[in-house]
Amino acid sequence: MKKLRIRNIDQGAIMKLNKILKNTLLLVAACIALSACATSKKSTGQMQGDVYTGKDTVEYLASGVPDRVFFATNESVLTTASRETLRKQAAWLRKNSDVTVVLEGHADERGTREYNLALGERRANAAKDYLMTYGISSDRISVLSYGKERPVDSGSNPLAWSKNRRSVTVKAN
Amino acid sequence: MGRSILISSILHTLLIMITALSLPFLAKKPINLPPIVSIELIQITDKTNIPFAPKAKKIIEKVKEKEKKLVSEQAPPKKVKKIKPESIPMPDDKVKKVEEIKEDKQNPEKIDDEIKQVSEFEKKELIDPNNIAALIDKAKVENAKTTNKKDKITQDQQRSVENIGLSLSEEDALKAQIFGCWSIPLGLPYNENLLVRIKLELNPDGTVSQSEILDHARMNKPGQGFYKVLAESALRAIKLCQPLRVPTTGYERWKELQLNFDAREMLEG
Amino acid sequence: MKKFFYLILIFVIPIKAFALIEVDITRGNLNPLPIAVSPLSIDDNSKKNFEKILKKKNIGSEISSVVENNLKISGLFNPLNKDAFLQAPEIANLKPRFEDWNLIKAQALITGKVNYVDEKLRVEFRLWDVLAGKEMMALAFTTVPNNWRRVGHIITDKVYERLTGEKGYFDTRIIYVAEEGPKTKRIKKLAIMDQDGANNKFLTLGNELVLTPRFNPTSQMVTYLSYFRNLPRVYLLDIETGMQEVVGDFPGMTFAPRFSPDGKKIIMSFAKDGNSDIYTMDLENRIVEKITNHPSIDTSPSYSPDGKYICFNSDRSGYQQIYVMKSDGSNVKRISFGKGLYGTPVWSPRGDLIAFTKLHKGKFYIGVMRTDGSGERLLTENYYQEAPSWSPNGRVLIFYRETKTNDKGEGFSAKLWSIDLTGYNERLVKTPVDASDPSWSSLLSN
Repeated sequence: MKKLRIRNIDQGAIMKLNKILKNTLLLVAACIALSACATSKKSTGQMQGDVYTGKDTVEYLASGVPDRVFFATNESVLTTASRETLRKQAAWLRKNSDVTVVLEGHADERGTREYNLALGERRANAAKDYLMTYGISSDRISVLSYGKERPVDSGSNPLAWSKNRRSVTVKAN
Repeated sequence: MGRSILISSILHTLLIMITALSLPFLAKKPINLPPIVSIELIQITDKTNIPFAPKAKKIIEKVKEKEKKLVSEQAPPKKVKKIKPESIPMPDDKVKKVEEIKEDKQNPEKIDDEIKQVSEFEKKELIDPNNIAALIDKAKVENAKTTNKKDKITQDQQRSVENIGLSLSEEDALKAQIFGCWSIPLGLPYNENLLVRIKLELNPDGTVSQSEILDHARMNKPGQGFYKVLAESALRAIKLCQPLRVPTTGYERWKELQLNFDAREMLEG
Repeated sequence: MKKFFYLILIFVIPIKAFALIEVDITRGNLNPLPIAVSPLSIDDNSKKNFEKILKKKNIGSEISSVVENNLKISGLFNPLNKDAFLQAPEIANLKPRFEDWNLIKAQALITGKVNYVDEKLRVEFRLWDVLAGKEMMALAFTTVPNNWRRVGHIITDKVYERLTGEKGYFDTRIIYVAEEGPKTKRIKKLAIMDQDGANNKFLTLGNELVLTPRFNPTSQMVTYLSYFRNLPRVYLLDIETGMQEVVGDFPGMTFAPRFSPDGKKIIMSFAKDGNSDIYTMDLENRIVEKITNHPSIDTSPSYSPDGKYICFNSDRSGYQQIYVMKSDGSNVKRISFGKGLYGTPVWSPRGDLIAFTKLHKGKFYIGVMRTDGSGERLLTENYYQEAPSWSPNGRVLIFYRETKTNDKGEGFSAKLWSIDLTGYNERLVKTPVDASDPSWSSLLSN
């Protein structure tokens, strides 16, 4: 009997404590929610979905001809922007018919090494296929996958990963 | 932009509401917890074999005849023992104690499995031609012993209804002691039969005068190397624990004792 | 009626119990076994000779500390502090005074003796059961003095086998990729070391990117991926001779190589036109066989130890999952059905489990499942880790782990880790530089 009473007193105290705890937790939750909003806004400037749309790492084959296209996580589908870039590259390649290129496919660090090698190869080939539909001979294009071995951004965050999911067209001669 | 802010704010209010609503439930949980049951603490009483209620005694008298038949059929000992704590009618204040101990026991589903496995390798043992000779010798001695005992039992039966077996607290004291001494070899395969049965002959002070591994044949079988390791670890545990915490009275009851070491529960969990 | 039944039972139990009281012991402690490793005794003459050859003051205690360290790393043993030993090594080896060892709570004891015989190292050792007061094992080895560390490993293997019931994994090596430099321009070399980190040696210079080295069953050969001349191809390297040759010279990338259990074939992925399939190549006649034929990514193949099955990684369901097929490519079955992505399946040397890497909700796990996909157990969770490789006894997994970088992209590192199959005993495996893609050899002494 004695023990029971003691527990009741304890329960009262715990209830009060819980109310305080509850309130603080609510506050904390609200803070976290708001801050999440703030950070996501920052990155939307350079990403659409999780495809990189910025220009930070992009180099140019010629004036107005970007050298790389970006992909969504685990994807090798070309976005509208990517297709536009590749059309520019195709036009440039048609103009410079002696140029051969290597398409280097890359993946972000959030995947197993071997699968990423295959994924990089698939991405580079997606770009190659598109260039071929615009009349570039497959003899002029070779493909090389680096998987996750050669990131451009060494960061461990979604923005860095989006920059690394890429296929880069490199002049081979 | 305006739309996304709207969506964001709706989602956030939703989130906060969910948090607000669900928090009290989360918070309540610790209070609803049942009182902590301490299992490690064990007191040894001289006699905890609970006397039967008068009514029950009468019924027992009536069914005595039937019960004798049952004995000769040799019901599997384990299965029967497990039911013991639940079935004994007893005074109120002792109920709690027994319940505490019950939690400590393995879940009953496992029991059937265990018994099966035991009988399985008993069969194997007999088939193994290399060991038959040894087994026969051993079996002879053991048979002689057990028949002797059985005779005694039937004679003493009526006198010692209350004074047989180990009481729960006695058994738990012994278990707790051996739990502490037994280093289970961590390298054992976790999906094999890991039961080692050891028969002990004890001195009145709890020291071991003789120990025998009951499934000795399995020790030298190919592919059962781990069994030897396990058996040795069990023997080490017994040696380390000497003298065993046996009851202070009733030497006749426990001068022979069988310990069933089963590591499966530990390694699976 | 029920009550009545119980009452009958009550009556039965005590009588049964009287016949022979049975007590079930279903719990014990999982503490490592306390073991005393007494330094191997050595006579003055031998001591002098070995000091000249090996530049080690007391080779006896050096060998015993190799043993001690191995036992500790295994997580199954607790080597006791030598300061507490009461008996001198040379006497303990003849006849241990078990009471003394019992006093410091040792349950097992290793003693031994080192001799210089005909310019060779002769080591004998004994394993004692302290509580039973008897000898459990006695063995002797003779070898060239330079092999002294291996003697320590072999002693550990024998002790481990005697006390745990399964083969050890100490006389083994690990091949891995040593990494240096910034994350965006990593320099990678093949490297090899003993299982305990000693005798580290670099096998390539780092001029080209190398990845995923794997031992053959005899641990003499290694197959790996090299970007030599910017052509990612599967190569073969003979560790003894240093000879290298390309084996996967197909018109495209070959990668993810592994040996078959008989060592006669290499199984690998070949990627062409955006599609990766699994191929085998017979090393004797160079005949190539296509095993999978699917427009998805099929990679990371690994044979079952009997060579009858292959597990591999495929995204034919839309995402990376683990599949098992017969070694001719028939009967493809998906076995991973948990939440998340699965990769790098590796069949255990015992044949009963497949280790894998799992990605779920932004975390990477190393786990194991049965070969039909049931009984999935995740052993460890981290920001990034992958590529488990089994110890030859199928008890321990080694894998690598990468750290998250900070806002500036700094603080990247890659290290090797090992973990017991039970999920206990997670340990950093020390390497001179950063490391990844470990592969465990078979037991060298077999």
